[in-house]
This record gives sequence, C-alpha cells and structure tokens, in this order.
Amino acid sequence: MWRDAALVAGKDLRIEGRSRVGLSQVAPFGIVALVLFAFALGPDRQVMAKGAPGLFWVAVLFCTVLAIQRSVSVESTDGARDGLRLSGIDPAGLYLGKAVAVAAQLVVLELLLAIGVVLLYGARIEVPWMIVVSCLLGTVGLAATGTLYGALSSGLRVRETLLPFLFLPIAAPVLLAGTRIWQAAMAGGTPAAGMQWLRLLVVFDAVYLAIGVVLFGPIQETA
Amino acid sequence: MTDNSTTTTVAEAFGPGPAAHPPTTVATNTGVTPSPVQSPRSRMVERTIGILALVGTIATVWLGIWVTPPDKVQGDLVRLVYIHPGVAWVALYLAFGLAAVSSLLYLWPRTRSLFWDRLAAAAVEVGVVFNVCTLVSGSIWGRPTWGVWWAWDARLTSTAVLLVLFLGYLALRRVPAEPEVRARRSAFVALFAAVDIPIIHFSVNWWNTLHQGATVLNPNLSAKIHGSMAWTLLLGFVALTLVFVWMLLVRFRIGVLEDWLGANELDLALAERQSEGTGPLDGSAADRVGAA
Amino acid sequence: MRYVVAGYAFILIVLAVYAVQLVWRRRRLAQAVARVAGPVMAPVATDPAAGTVTEVAP
Repeated sequence: MWRDAALVAGKDLRIEGRSRVGLSQVAPFGIVALVLFAFALGPDRQVMAKGAPGLFWVAVLFCTVLAIQRSVSVESTDGARDGLRLSGIDPAGLYLGKAVAVAAQLVVLELLLAIGVVLLYGARIEVPWMIVVSCLLGTVGLAATGTLYGALSSGLRVRETLLPFLFLPIAAPVLLAGTRIWQAAMAGGTPAAGMQWLRLLVVFDAVYLAIGVVLFGPIQETA
Repeated sequence: MTDNSTTTTVAEAFGPGPAAHPPTTVATNTGVTPSPVQSPRSRMVERTIGILALVGTIATVWLGIWVTPPDKVQGDLVRLVYIHPGVAWVALYLAFGLAAVSSLLYLWPRTRSLFWDRLAAAAVEVGVVFNVCTLVSGSIWGRPTWGVWWAWDARLTSTAVLLVLFLGYLALRRVPAEPEVRARRSAFVALFAAVDIPIIHFSVNWWNTLHQGATVLNPNLSAKIHGSMAWTLLLGFVALTLVFVWMLLVRFRIGVLEDWLGANELDLALAERQSEGTGPLDGSAADRVGAA
Repeated sequence: MRYVVAGYAFILIVLAVYAVQLVWRRRRLAQAVARVAGPVMAPVATDPAAGTVTEVAP
C-alpha cells in the first residue's frame, strides 16, 4: 500500500510540476481571495488583523476545492481512471497517494497565504510552532476529506458545482479549529486555548484518513 | 414476448389477449424494482397513520394554543415548545438517524437492497422539510426570548449544517445515474455526513463556549413542565412523529413508482405514443410493438 | 403571542403544502404507471413497504 501511495503521489506531483497549474492558477486565486477579503473588511488594520486567522483558513478552503478539482480532473481524460483501477494498484494506496499529493500542494499554498496574511493584514504571530502544526494537521484533514469527495463526484459532469457544496460543510471543523488555533497563537491570544483544538484536528484527521483508506475502493467503483 | 426478457411489454397490456399479467420486475443484482401496485393492506396502514397524524396534530394545536395555560416565566411563548422540539427531534434524530442507518444497511453487502436506498432518500427529503421547520420555529422562538433571530450555538448551527448536508445529498441524487450507482454515491455521502455532524456539533460547542463563557442559549424547556403542558408536549412529539411516518411512507411509495417507471421507460414512451395514435389498438399494433 | 401564531402557522402551512405535494406526486406517478401497464392489473400480494419482489412468470 505504501509503495502504491508513493507511486501515485509521485505521479500527481510530477504532473503538477510539469503543468504548474497549482502555482499559476490556484495560488494567484488565493492571493486574489486575500485581496478581496481586505476590500470587504475595510481599511481598518485592526479589524483585518483580528480577522486574519479566519480569512486565512477560508482562503485555504477555497484553494482546497480547486486543488481537489484539479486532482480529480487529472484522471478524467483518456480513461486514466480505469487504467489506474486495472493496473492493480491498491485502492488504499491510491487514496493515500492522491491525498498526499493534494496535501503537498496545499502546504505550499498555505505558506504563500500565511506570508500574505502577515504582510497584508498585519497579523502578528507569537507562537509559530502552533501555526505550523495547525497548518499541517489542517492540511491532512482537508486532503483526506477532499480526496474522498473528489472520488465520490469524479464521474459527475456537474462536479464543479456539486463538489464545493458537498465538501465544504464537512471541512467546517478544520476551519473552526484552524481559526481558533491561529487566534491562540497570535498576539493577544492564549496558546493554551489552542491545545484542545489541535487535539480535535488530530481526531478529525484520524477518522477521515481511516474512512478513506477503508472505503476508497468501494467508492471508486461507484464513479 | 415470453422470451428471456423480463419486462412485460406494452403488447401484453394492450394486446387482444385476456387480462394482462401484472408487470414483471426488472432484475438488477442488488434488489429488484418492486411492484408499483400498492397492496390494500399497506394502503390502509398508510391511511390510518395519516388520519392519526392529522388528528394528533390538530389536537396538539388546539391544546397548545387554547387549552394550556401560559407559562409563569415564558408566558405565551411556551406554546411553541409544544411543536418545536417535536419537529426538531424528527429532523435531527429520526430522519437523519434513519437515513444514516439505511445508508449503512445499503452499503453493507449482506443487507444490500435498493429498499434501504429508497428509504434513506425518503427520510432525507422529509427530513429537510422538518429541518426547515425546526430552524424557523426555533428562530421565531428565539427572537422574543433572546432578542436575536439567530444564535451561533452548537444546536442551531449543527441543525443548519445538517440542512446543508441534506440538501447536498438531494442534489447528488438528482444527477442521472443507474439506481445502484446513485444509491452507492448517496449512501457514502450520507455516511460521511453522519460522521461529521457529531464532530461539528462538538466543535461549535467549544467554539461558542470559549467565547461566551457559560452562556447557555439552550432552547430546551424548563424541567418543571407538568400537567396539561406535559401531556401536550408528549402529544406534540407523537403527532409530529406520526406525520413524519406518514410522509415517509408516501415519499417511499413515490420512490418505488419513480424507479419502476424509470426501469420501464421504454414501455412508458410506447404507451404514450400509442395513446396518441389514431383508432383503437388492434392486433396489428400489438404485433408491431411486440416485435420492437 | 403573534410569535406563537407565526411559528405554528409556518410549521402547519409548510407541512400541509408538502403533504399535498406528496399526494399529488404519487397520484401523477400512479397514473403514469397505469398507462404503461394497462388498466387491468392483478392485485399483488407483496407489501410494497417491504420492497419485496413480485416475480411473475410471463
């Protein structure tokens, strides 16, 4: 399973490396989102700094949707999906591989967005390790659930409109937890308050990774 | 027509022969399309439940609005307590729970049958209606009580998220697909939603209390409800549950009919074409259809 | 008190409208089925709520 996962992850990342869709389209979209949020919240820097954690995570969620769409559409041409299934790759490995690839892209995006948030909104980070851990854990959760929903909707022509609608409510705990942890880790927050949210993220990640590993095979047969 | 095909063609229905056989079923490997004709017994059960539900609801309304006294603390607003928890329990636990369990049963190989899929779909659709009722009645109760139309406490928020998840389920079901494929997809979505709702409820609870301390925006009734109020509350629960069951039965029936029609689409189209045709059907028409 | 009336009215109206819609939908579908299968149909012994099969040899 792990070998298959590495294979699939490598494939997806190589495709990304060559086509650079993530870098040239999803990342700018994230930046645009940050700018739009700034317009929406007004020029008051204090308001923006307070809202920075939430805005960061909302931007991340939107970018996740795009990343998932991309991850799914990569295989929708030339019967690649059937080819993957016929190749005898362990479905759990396929799932993990795709999730890892999405996660890797998300991490890069988050780095970019975090820098953007600090620069544009004047957010001040006091406990960096919490920020980093929350991003990592949150990314795992988003990639785990997103890959699941991507697989569920992979056969649908209305995937573009349906996937966000289905996926985003499920991802809400990541948004809640991530925002809270960031708030705890910023100037004016209490780090201790963030700890239980980190635990929640761990539970969330574990649950959905387990579900994905077990159910990805049956789900694929649906599409 | 009595060859390997298992669908009764229009010819047998319109042909010159004696009374038609009931349509045979279209075999699938996970559950056969049941007969579209409802047995008289099940019709009667449905009717009885419907009447009981109607009577119960009317009784609840009458008791709730006129007979019972106003509460010492809440005044007349307590009257909403007779119906709001009722619709809430149906939407959040009965409908959702039924949908989740049915979806699980559908996915489980040993119990796989499209019956569970139809049941889940019916439960979700009726659940959406009750969910909206819950949110609106809760909001109406909340306005004079808390001063706001909406509060982000765990229960309200979870209910709203559940509504969105239900709507997603229904949207997914609209996508044209084979019954088994659609059933599987829907079942997975229901399953994931079932896993997520407790997590969301939990998270929002934390999220809220961390900010507002021990503020309890609890729409629950006080523990001191007794006498005619308690009976009315109980009646409300029972009546609304019966309403749900009746709606579930009818909606399930609709699912059966839709699936049957879907499986026999060709026959339906032929029948409609025939009915547009000129003159009575004779053997020649039947032969032509039969040969198709 | 008007809140109470509003609450009751909303719930009752929504449930009533939905109930009517269900009944109407079922009627329309049953008519479509009757058109396909013909007016004469032997009553079936299965309980459709159980979703079991009618297997009739053609």
